[in-house]
Amino acid sequence: MNELVLMVALPLLTAFLLPVIDRLSSLAARWIGPLVLLLTAIIGLSAWSQTGSGAITIELGNFRPPLGIDLYVDQLALLFALAVTLGTLLLWPAEGEQRLRQSTLALLLAGSGSGLALSGDLFNIYVLYELIAVVSYGLAASRGTAAGQAATLRYLIVSAFGAALALAGIALVYQATGTLNLAQLAQLAPTQLNNGQGLAAFVLMLVGFGVKAELFPVNTWVPEVYATAPARVAGLLAGVVSKLALLIIVRLLILLFPQPEALTVMLVLGILGVLTGELAAWRARDFNRMLAFSSIGQLGIMFIAFSIPGKAGVFAGLAVALHHLVVKPALFLLAQRWGGSLEHLAGVAKGSPLAAALFILLALSLIGVPPLPGFWAKLLVMIHLLEQQSSLYALGAWIIMAGAALEANYLFRVASSFYRREAAATPPAAHRTGDLAGASLLGAALAAAVFLIVPLADRIEAMAGQAADRDHYIQTVNPEPLP
Amino acid sequence: MTPLDQLLLLSALTVVVPLFTGNRRITGPLATLLYTGQGLLLLRMAGLGYGSETPVSSAVSLQVLGLELHWRFDALSWFFALITIGAGLLSSWFASGEWAQRYRDSGSSLRLFHAALALNVFTMLVLLASGELLSLFIGWELVSWASFLMMSLGSNTALRYAMRYVTYAFAGAMAVLMGLVLVYTRTGSFEFQAFRDAVPSMDADTVWLLFGLFAAGFGVKMALLPFHLWQAKAYAETPGPGAAFLGAISSRMGLFAMIVVLVQIIGVARLVELPVPFTFLSGRDLLAWVAVFTIIFPTFTALRQHDARRLLAWHGIGQGGYMLLGILIADDLGSAGGLMHVFNHATYQAVLFMSVTAVIHRTGTSDLNKLGGLVARMPLSFLAMLIGIIGLAGLPPMNGFVSKWLVYRALILEGSPLLFLGAVIGTLGTILSVYKLIHNTFLGQLRLEHVDIEEAPSSMLWPMMILSTVVFVTGYFPGLVLDWIASVQAAVGLPVLAHHLGGVHIDKGGLDMIWVVSVLLAGFGVGALVFLSGNRSKRVHQLDNYAGGHFLTADTRYQYSDNFYPGLMHLIGPWYRKSFRWLEGGFVSTVDTVSQLMQGLYRHTHPAFYLLAVVVFALSWVMGGD
Amino acid sequence: MNLSELLIELLLMPLVAFVIGLGMVLMMRKIAARLGRRIGPPLLQPIYDIIKLYGKRTQISHGLIHEIGIIMAVGGYVAAETLLPVPGMNGLADKGGVITLAYVMMIPSLGMALGVGQCANPNGSIGISRALTAMLAYDIPFILVIFGAAYVYGTTNLADIIAIQQQQGVSGWGLMQMPLLALAGMLALPAVMGKQPFEIYIAPAEIATGPMVEMSGKFMGGLFVMQCFQLYTAGVLYTTLFLGGGAYWITFLPKIYAVVAIPMAAAMLFPRYRTEDVIRLMWKWPVLVGLMGLAVAMK
Repeated sequence: MNELVLMVALPLLTAFLLPVIDRLSSLAARWIGPLVLLLTAIIGLSAWSQTGSGAITIELGNFRPPLGIDLYVDQLALLFALAVTLGTLLLWPAEGEQRLRQSTLALLLAGSGSGLALSGDLFNIYVLYELIAVVSYGLAASRGTAAGQAATLRYLIVSAFGAALALAGIALVYQATGTLNLAQLAQLAPTQLNNGQGLAAFVLMLVGFGVKAELFPVNTWVPEVYATAPARVAGLLAGVVSKLALLIIVRLLILLFPQPEALTVMLVLGILGVLTGELAAWRARDFNRMLAFSSIGQLGIMFIAFSIPGKAGVFAGLAVALHHLVVKPALFLLAQRWGGSLEHLAGVAKGSPLAAALFILLALSLIGVPPLPGFWAKLLVMIHLLEQQSSLYALGAWIIMAGAALEANYLFRVASSFYRREAAATPPAAHRTGDLAGASLLGAALAAAVFLIVPLADRIEAMAGQAADRDHYIQTVNPEPLP
Repeated sequence: MTPLDQLLLLSALTVVVPLFTGNRRITGPLATLLYTGQGLLLLRMAGLGYGSETPVSSAVSLQVLGLELHWRFDALSWFFALITIGAGLLSSWFASGEWAQRYRDSGSSLRLFHAALALNVFTMLVLLASGELLSLFIGWELVSWASFLMMSLGSNTALRYAMRYVTYAFAGAMAVLMGLVLVYTRTGSFEFQAFRDAVPSMDADTVWLLFGLFAAGFGVKMALLPFHLWQAKAYAETPGPGAAFLGAISSRMGLFAMIVVLVQIIGVARLVELPVPFTFLSGRDLLAWVAVFTIIFPTFTALRQHDARRLLAWHGIGQGGYMLLGILIADDLGSAGGLMHVFNHATYQAVLFMSVTAVIHRTGTSDLNKLGGLVARMPLSFLAMLIGIIGLAGLPPMNGFVSKWLVYRALILEGSPLLFLGAVIGTLGTILSVYKLIHNTFLGQLRLEHVDIEEAPSSMLWPMMILSTVVFVTGYFPGLVLDWIASVQAAVGLPVLAHHLGGVHIDKGGLDMIWVVSVLLAGFGVGALVFLSGNRSKRVHQLDNYAGGHFLTADTRYQYSDNFYPGLMHLIGPWYRKSFRWLEGGFVSTVDTVSQLMQGLYRHTHPAFYLLAVVVFALSWVMGGD
Repeated sequence: MNLSELLIELLLMPLVAFVIGLGMVLMMRKIAARLGRRIGPPLLQPIYDIIKLYGKRTQISHGLIHEIGIIMAVGGYVAAETLLPVPGMNGLADKGGVITLAYVMMIPSLGMALGVGQCANPNGSIGISRALTAMLAYDIPFILVIFGAAYVYGTTNLADIIAIQQQQGVSGWGLMQMPLLALAGMLALPAVMGKQPFEIYIAPAEIATGPMVEMSGKFMGGLFVMQCFQLYTAGVLYTTLFLGGGAYWITFLPKIYAVVAIPMAAAMLFPRYRTEDVIRLMWKWPVLVGLMGLAVAMK
């Protein structure tokens, strides 16, 4: 089972060795990154079937927690580790003269992302989170434009503050319990963290990790960074990294903080996220910014969904998250050529019919048109929100609906401009094969999901059940009792 | 495989076939043939239209997220499906011959057109077949997006209005979804029956909420006020046969859904019990008034149109009001009138759009100020339009009269003078407007450039003649349609109309169209005899005219067309205030302002400030909670 | 009643209507003349007029629709008369009813409009535009009145309406039961008949304008016949709704002549209204009175 460690180690190792390899052969350096990611993906996939019945824990160096570092592998964690790996592969950002640096950063991202997903204690989570943060600054600023650097600087400031807050939260937790191992914390949480200090810790960590999860209002870096960073990087950040941060928050919520106040904070911030994101997107005049704001809105929906207590919330949130994980990177792949002002996109359907059709498919799913997967995810969220019989949750449902209506308007305003008879003065260049193939692949996956919706739903439900089961986590890791 | 499965399968095949045959000439006839096949399959279920109570279910059912999806046809579905397939068949036929050639030569994709048409028919059948609320919603969305596809095949204007449609339709769909989920959380099921059982135990607020959500959501598709702004231009700019199809049936899907949810499930009786606060109106009255205003305002907007297609499309919105009004009366007569008007409207509206399209095909314009005098050149198209406008205006002997008569009669029985007056005002406005249509197109001065045009090609004439015949025959023998209506009423749970071939027999004033039409025809015979008893008349050439003592030469344009009713407009012109436009504009600017604020929020240069602010707020909240 | 009797009635009713209508036209011209201190035409003048028009040598047809329009104008009223019960003859009263009648009465207008339209004379079209506008003006109060009557009597069958009124004698007449509605009907009646002061659309005094501009010979004759029917229909309908109809011709005839004569005599004194003023007038007083009448009648 220990080969799963390779999912984390292999990309990190390769990243460090990459400069050396480049000295030896630049061809090898070009290909080794994707190959390594492919390999780790295969490792992950082969482990998939084993996690079906129950989660696995891997103790590094065979030290039992809390002494040793452990990896906790349930289907959810593995899925996100895979998503990071495959996402990075699909959105492989290396191009141009900075190829080497970009490859290194991408590999680091994949490795630390997988680690983050699998990691079983708060300290590792913090370290890997910081690593991802550093990597993403590098990626975001890689275009080297002044605007890009300014945006990244803003991102860096918020992110650093956020990390500091998260660290403060972790410190509070440690102060209360004396441990950072998640399983152990889960055991202690009902007694030690079910108080104001626990909640304060949660709020600090929520806001801290929320910076990457595009949580309102610490997401102000999003539009500028996505608009100035290379589209593939934006796709990675919006599609994959944001979900990783969300995953951490959800894990903490399930294991450490079952208090209803914690859920309420998340719900309120989620609602505000949907509201501000969709409204701001409505007026966006730039393709990337529009996608960025829409991504804020979608993350808001996820926060709302995860704030539903119990397994139902995890199920609904996961459905939305996985859907967004497929759709947003595909949209950003299209943005590679269509970035910039929306006015340039008038009449592009004539030149690139496939891309236009893909955009429509993705947009339809994003706003939740049946029978596309986005609809089922949204339906799930709606049902569970209204089942709570609480006015705040009902408000969340109304806001999601209103947001979807707005989103339909701005996405299809763009889509219908594709088919306008007169073309723009400076139409964008045609898509590169790689981008189009990637987007098509994701689009095809989305279309296939329409027919596989029944087994998919069952899988996700099982996954959610596994993830929402606190006792299962504790028993799997089975840490030594605290002295 | 049940007949329903076969029907849906064939319908899906009709979507696929044009994709393969593409722009070849065969596409149109092939599609027409396939629609005929669909029609035959539908006839295999004809028992539904003649009183068979057991629905035909589909063998397919799905279980998603623990929710059961299934499909079936009852009399209501069958009735709407009959209209849908009929409209599809004739529109496709109309679009098969010369029209297709012209369309293709203009660089448009025939493949896409026929596929879009077939997709509309298919999705409508899926919607009509829905067996519980979830499949109803899925069908609903499919129909919406299929008609969006159809609308966006037109010009840039069409695209703009199709866009508007999407905005309205999707917002409406979200309202419907909200309603569905509310129902689900109350009943734990999407089944119609579960919903119906739960309604009596719901309190007034909940029923109000559901009523509002469903009425608004479905009303968007019907273009009920105030959600009507999208429809006219979107339909009008759709390629001709597509406009005929959409105008005939598309927006009636909203009515179908409303019947299912508001009449069949919630029940009009329950709506009558809902009081509107601070008034003596009930929920039903409120919707009935919406229906009446939907009759009046769009009809008088139609009166001001200069474009034949827009004029018709605006009337299409107005006529929808009669249907809803009739159904909301919910007695045997009124609901029969409303339902029958669905069929009648589909027939004459299709004829009208087709005849206007034929005129466009020959002259290249539908601008009512650039036509005139075509009657001698296109007599059969004229005849089709004449029959169509008599139907639209609701005058005997055409079928439109019968359905409106039923609605009027029910309103008298119920004693709602103001609703009745509103409905009649709509009819009168329609008469004015349709006369302008036929006068400016076919009567009056013939333009020099139109002297040599010919009658529409036979591929266009046949569908027009068939539909005209239907309009007349179902006016002459309304019992033919009322048979289906009675089955629908039974299926929906409304009182069933006792009828006979000629109409209805009521002790206090019934209607027998066989006698009325016969005597009308006899009257025309007498009129003809009286006319022929006079001295022989001399036929002068169409261009041989004079006015005010001067001979008019053909190159002088003297057609009286623009601002056709100056006297009326002098008075009511100031009443056109574009209030709904204004309302819509106001809403959009509000969203725009808020959106700008939100963007400002994200442009803030000190992002760390938010971070601290939220932490402070959240901390003080959770700590204060202790 | 057997079928052959019914068929005979159906033949007789328009014929009777025509004869009575001729009398009404004569009466109107007499009234107009007397008010203008003239003697007026002789008894048979309307018949002479019709024979003259039909027999004219110059008969200009502008095409088939021109002819069909005139045929519709006459035929529509011929059909309408069979829906209007008169003493001894119920015709199709139970198969159509008052709503059907109101709509059948629009067919002649449509026919005339089509016929005039085909003539391609802009002045004719202007006349039609005015005629249809006037129809929109007077039909609103007219329909209100019909609704009120049908609601109060509880039936749309005109024969039943007559029977209900006659059961109770004069006190049961619509005039007594719903005086406001009867007044509203009376106010709208001159416009329904298309007579002074609402005759601008026909514009009989101006040769070069109005629907008649292209009508020569039997076309004009057709419209003349139509006018007879129009007066008759309006008179009989009003009598049926408000004056108890007629059990015997001897009481029926004075009533219908009076219904036509009284508003005419008053209306002749007014100057002609412009189209927009017709609307303004019709939508104001008759509608107001009618609504009040409805409110009273439905309480």
